[in-house]
Amino acid sequence: MNKAPALTLALAAPGLAVLALFFLLPLGVVVAEAFRGDALARFLANRELVASLLNSLVLGVEAAAVALVIGIAVALHLARLPPGRRALIQVVIALPLTFSGLIIAYGFILVLGRAGFVTMLLARLGADPATVASFLFSEWGLVLAYTYYLTPRVILMLVPVFANFDERQLQAAESMGASRLRALADVMVPQIAPTVAAAFALVAAVAIGAYGTALALVGTQINILPLRLYSMVADSGADFPLAAAVSVVLLAVCSLLMAAAEIAAASSEARHAQH
Amino acid sequence: MSVAVESLSFAYAPAGAGVSGITLSLEAGEFCAVIGPSGCGKSTLLRLIAGFLTPDSGAIRIGGQDMAHVPARRRDLGVVFQSYALFPHMSAAENVAYPLKLRGAPRAERLRRAGEALERARLSGMADRLPGQLSGGQQQRVALARALVFQPRALLLDEPLSALDAAHRAAMRDEIRAIQREHGIATLHVTHDQEEALSIADRVAVMRDGRLLQVATPRTLYDEPADAFVAGFVGHANLLDGVVRAPGLVETAIGTLACATGDHTAGSTVTVFFRPEAVRPDPEGAVNRFEGRVVRDRFLGSLRRFDLAVAGGCILGETASRRDIAAVGIPPEGIRLLRR
Repeated sequence: MNKAPALTLALAAPGLAVLALFFLLPLGVVVAEAFRGDALARFLANRELVASLLNSLVLGVEAAAVALVIGIAVALHLARLPPGRRALIQVVIALPLTFSGLIIAYGFILVLGRAGFVTMLLARLGADPATVASFLFSEWGLVLAYTYYLTPRVILMLVPVFANFDERQLQAAESMGASRLRALADVMVPQIAPTVAAAFALVAAVAIGAYGTALALVGTQINILPLRLYSMVADSGADFPLAAAVSVVLLAVCSLLMAAAEIAAASSEARHAQH
Repeated sequence: MSVAVESLSFAYAPAGAGVSGITLSLEAGEFCAVIGPSGCGKSTLLRLIAGFLTPDSGAIRIGGQDMAHVPARRRDLGVVFQSYALFPHMSAAENVAYPLKLRGAPRAERLRRAGEALERARLSGMADRLPGQLSGGQQQRVALARALVFQPRALLLDEPLSALDAAHRAAMRDEIRAIQREHGIATLHVTHDQEEALSIADRVAVMRDGRLLQVATPRTLYDEPADAFVAGFVGHANLLDGVVRAPGLVETAIGTLACATGDHTAGSTVTVFFRPEAVRPDPEGAVNRFEGRVVRDRFLGSLRRFDLAVAGGCILGETASRRDIAAVGIPPEGIRLLRR
């Protein structure tokens, strides 16, 4: 590499150009726009927008928490399977990651919407289809849909950590006098906590920033930041400085969470690297 | 404290492998090694005694109390695993102090006792290191210190040396024995290495297919194996199928051998057993003399181990002599007959 810096530069140039054109330039424009004038101040003064930010945070935390609980259970199970079967099941589990948010929303509408498959089945048992469907088009419906594609991310992050954990450590702790619960708390939890925290932060960031699924399921019925941003940009005669401020806030929240996730993951990796 | 198992049986659910009818007892302070090929049930036996598995039937007594259905945490046994099972997020000192923490010892006391234990294990400078920063031998010593620091009633070692390289293994072997003597603690040491077992243990138990074949001192096990399997598993051995022809005479594929036939009657089938070191490469005037050709000659420094192809078979011999070998003698007193 070092022998031909010119060649390296030439090879890197297209990538750098794309990065500059489609990332640095728009980001710079948006940030500049957000800090010009009183856009950020107007954001903070707008109760609706601040409420949408809080709603987004709550939604992100809820969806991430549900995904984490399911993900931990599945990952614990997968870690105990023989590697061949584990790999096969992991492929199936990773599949939702390839779907766009709109497709997932459409799938949920087909299952739980007003004329959905499950809705119809429940209607036969006497449930009101409108009630069932209203669940899907509510905040908890969103949590359900988000969980669907956040859980695989959690599982994929946690399985290696669980699979590498030497269960003999728990037996060793028990032989020294620890109860099963005490052994888990003292021995296993501290070792998996950084990765679990990283998984939580990562999926929370994804949930807070997502808008495709939300748009398809709830339209603009629920006051969350990405949908606010969407309607601001979609409207004609939009308040672009305010939209830029919203963008920057959303970006900051998600980046902060991702950074936390990265730091947590790196600290656990550094510890594992010593082995 | 003494450790005893009586008619202990356990089967893994579908396959049926496990252990059956194991009866074995360790005196207080005794060092007993359990050997056998992989899958013989030796680790299962240890896990049953430790309480990681629950027996289907039989008793496990520690200091006279039946512990078969007592959970592992109340058995008060020190266990060292093949992988050491150190807690990677705790320093060496915290690892050793952990059993004391579980017993509610105040922080200052447990750190002091952990420090003393590490000092005895020649690891005083390593107290603050994480296991990942220690060598294999150092991790091993931390694991041993951790298993002993709470003065358990007995010590269980599950292949503790197999993760070490050969150079460290022999030294660690002596160290384990010295520490065990110092603590005067009954110790069960599971290993697949028969040489390790013979060199370290007061008594050695040989297992195969979930059964206990023989428990004896290393010398008895070597000189008077109970059957052909034990003879072949412990050390090197010549094992030949034979038929007793007359008192003092056994017919084998390589010819008729003169040896004590004891109470084996004429016509009974036996396994003829002799150690390679019983084979004499200077057969002048020997009773059982065989001529042949050396087909493999392994130079091992202090001795040579050779295969002598003779009519009808092959004889494994050992000698310190470096001369050519064309014939060997097998003294009758070096031959034992094992029931088949």
